[in-house]
Amino acid sequence: MTMTMTEHYVIIGNGVAGSEAARHLRQRDGDSRITMVSAGKLLSINRYELPKIFSTSADWRDFLLHPPEYYDEQNISVRRNTWVSHVDPANKLLMLHHREPLSYTKLLIASGGGRYIPESLNQFKDLIAKFGTYEEAKSVSDALPKRGHMVMLGGDMIGLDLARSLVRNGYKVTVIGEGHLFWPHRVEADERQQFIAVLQGMGINVRTDVGITSIKEGGRNKPERHIVLDNDEVIDADVVLSFCGLMPSLAFMAGAGVDIERGVLVNPQLRSTDKSIWAAGDVCQIWSPEENQYRFFYGWENVKKMGKIAAFNMTGADESIDTVQNEKLVTTKSGEIDSPFWQYG
Amino acid sequence: MARTAKQRTDIQIAICGSAGDGTIAAGDILKQAMAKAGYNVIAFDVYPPEIRGFGKCIARARITSEQVYSLKSESDCLISLNDSHAIPHVSEVCKFGTVIYEDTPVSTVEEGAHVSSHLAPAHLPYGVAFREISERITSSARSRNIVAVGYLAGLYDMPADVFHEVISGKFASKSKELADSVRAAFDAGFQAGVDTFRLHFDRMGAAGGRGKQTDLVMMSGNAAIVRGCLDAGIDTFFGYPITPATTIMEMLAREMPKRGGRLLQTEDEISAIAATIGAGYTGARAATATSGPGLALMAEMMGLGAMAEVPAVAFVSQRGGPSTGMPTKTEQSDLNLAVFGVAGDGQRIVLAPTNVEGCYKCAGKAFEMAEAFQTPVIVLLDLYLSNRYEAVQLPVKNPFAENCSKAPRKNASPAEYSRYKLTSDGVSPRAIPGETGRMHTVTGLEHDERGKPSDQPRIHHAMSGKRHQKLLPALKHPGITISKRFGDKGAVDVGVLGWGSTFGEILEAMIEARKEGIRCAAMKVVMLSPLPVGPVKAFMDDCNEVLVPELNYEAQFASLVTGATGRSVHRLNRVRGTPMSVGEILDQIRHLAGQSGKIAAE
Repeated sequence: MTMTMTEHYVIIGNGVAGSEAARHLRQRDGDSRITMVSAGKLLSINRYELPKIFSTSADWRDFLLHPPEYYDEQNISVRRNTWVSHVDPANKLLMLHHREPLSYTKLLIASGGGRYIPESLNQFKDLIAKFGTYEEAKSVSDALPKRGHMVMLGGDMIGLDLARSLVRNGYKVTVIGEGHLFWPHRVEADERQQFIAVLQGMGINVRTDVGITSIKEGGRNKPERHIVLDNDEVIDADVVLSFCGLMPSLAFMAGAGVDIERGVLVNPQLRSTDKSIWAAGDVCQIWSPEENQYRFFYGWENVKKMGKIAAFNMTGADESIDTVQNEKLVTTKSGEIDSPFWQYG
Repeated sequence: MARTAKQRTDIQIAICGSAGDGTIAAGDILKQAMAKAGYNVIAFDVYPPEIRGFGKCIARARITSEQVYSLKSESDCLISLNDSHAIPHVSEVCKFGTVIYEDTPVSTVEEGAHVSSHLAPAHLPYGVAFREISERITSSARSRNIVAVGYLAGLYDMPADVFHEVISGKFASKSKELADSVRAAFDAGFQAGVDTFRLHFDRMGAAGGRGKQTDLVMMSGNAAIVRGCLDAGIDTFFGYPITPATTIMEMLAREMPKRGGRLLQTEDEISAIAATIGAGYTGARAATATSGPGLALMAEMMGLGAMAEVPAVAFVSQRGGPSTGMPTKTEQSDLNLAVFGVAGDGQRIVLAPTNVEGCYKCAGKAFEMAEAFQTPVIVLLDLYLSNRYEAVQLPVKNPFAENCSKAPRKNASPAEYSRYKLTSDGVSPRAIPGETGRMHTVTGLEHDERGKPSDQPRIHHAMSGKRHQKLLPALKHPGITISKRFGDKGAVDVGVLGWGSTFGEILEAMIEARKEGIRCAAMKVVMLSPLPVGPVKAFMDDCNEVLVPELNYEAQFASLVTGATGRSVHRLNRVRGTPMSVGEILDQIRHLAGQSGKIAAE
């Protein structure tokens, strides 16, 4: 008589990739145990929709990808408010930060990416707000007065999505930066000014001619922040945010023996160098045969697709991510910027 | 799904830990502080039979801006001070309720042994480094419970000043260093709570519905009994410790000597009731306190009290039975013993308060009635009521009469004095031993009017009638509610008849049923013996269906009522050792209302 072992799929991260993976894992393996691990207190939310926090009085329940009942119905356990301190692939074990081990048979790393702050600005990081979670977004929303001023360092596509939402809702936005503008798009120099002009036309003030010398805390009265530029100009802001791309969140993988460059290195089937570990979303670098290198694939559609493919392959399929994609930044007929990065919902 | 923060404050907190974790102490600080802040508070502590060790302790407190009558079946917040004990109670947390737990265990826990692994998707997790904070602030992990209370207060916007007041009061007799250390632990926890991003929707302001109160007292049922005894001028108390009545004796032992009273711990319950009756015979206001097993031992002496017509008061707090049963679990299964537990036709007065304020009133009135009707009086509580805390406002003026005895006529000759004279109201003039010219015999034997033993049929019949008839005016004794109807007036679909501690849940269920459009009323019966048959019958006449929920297996009150009225009732009985849930009663009301509707339609 043969015994069938029940799989225990553990997913580190409960963002779009992790959530999508859990959904497909359950569809394909109804008897398995599925556990998601998340540092946040909330169930999976769609972080791409966080800019809506400025245009609605909705609370966090409106940002949930699925209502709580979904997890009960699907028998998906979500360990929240905890994070993985390290992974032991040899024993197929995670250690949670509150000193509780968690065993797995197959592991998906979908821990996403945190904000990246350039080295030169790192000393001011405590004065730079975060916007990656609901709690962080709500804090920014609470800190920003009506028609208040937000200074955005960098100007990646996540930030520009927020910027366009803010200006639509009557806020003032200044983007300062050159190096990370339009990240992760590779915008050629001749197109750059054209897109910057479009941003200006959308009401976003873009400053690419200056660098930042320092950021200072405001006094008791607003504004809360003073940004000193390298031309001695001082810009006052209610909130300062950094949008200079993403830094994969995988400190817990140190010493795990899995190949890592900037992200977890995976093949187009999203499997890592450990046969029981997969990765999906902003945390993984996928081998691109076309470019002959590992590279990141960002954006809601990509991340969602990765969650699905990882789930398929963890349950015995052999599917690959399409590593040839249209990643062009475009201007719409109405004169606004659009990007495949912003396609979600 | 509610879209806005609740306007009405109605939050139930459960703190769960192991004996020695300071769970009950933490709950005590919470309830005292919130009562000071002007909120209504109902609290109930569950603790293990072991004095110290590994047993589970749970302190529950319902904090509301409006009057409520019972604990909720689900808590809005659970604080775990011990995960293995708290895990079974996670399922009692409501949707979008919070679970607060230790985030930095001192050692590795087994997979699945941390409380966070048992949270439902709709729960909100708040992990806190209780131990680390406590060690950082007080150089010891012992104040984890205080840090937890502080965190809770900060997280729910509770006013810190009332907690400071309570902590200062609680540690007033300790060293200043200790009091300062506890306060610092609270403040550190409070700040951590304030700094936490809140996802839950419950908030509390600086003051409850009544504003900050200084005249509200947070009091347990047993403490209210003690206060009632003291205000009624108790002279002597004899007792033998037994859960859940022990704290009555403990509190009286502290308070009575200050007022010239005397308290003696006897060798057993038989001695306790014997001494109580002896003291009552001499004219003292005397009482004892026990639980079901103790009352069983007291049965014979209670008969003597009835036969000899001696005033005595026994406070009986019920627990799970029979025999040793479940000493730390609640039950209402000693009604038959209290009402009928005696040899022969030995009727006595039995009062069963339904809330903490009722405990105070019944305690004081029990002494009045014992004197007025020359009989033992039993005040029947249960563990849920003995240990339940409520914010109560006690009367400024002492509501209890000093002397209710019917004394002999002053100028009556010795030859005329008959201790057991047959009178129109059945109450005979009572002389205290030592009064000149009032010599008489007191015996457990049947006796004539002068107390002389007699087994003549005529005398036994007359005296039996006297001993019963004299108690009926107790139904009209001033200043005490014997029975009371609540809810819809006139004809109703469902009437709920209740007694003792369960009545709070009955009242809540009735209120909910009315909100659902069910015509519903509830009646509490405080005097179980003699039973107020008239009002009970009148209530039952108004009800298409009558439901009697109670915490016993044998439906003891239901049987008492059906026996006295000849009417049938629907019985709802639970013996889980826990209070009955509002939901269970409400479900039955809905069910019966449906039946009632069908009958009406037919």
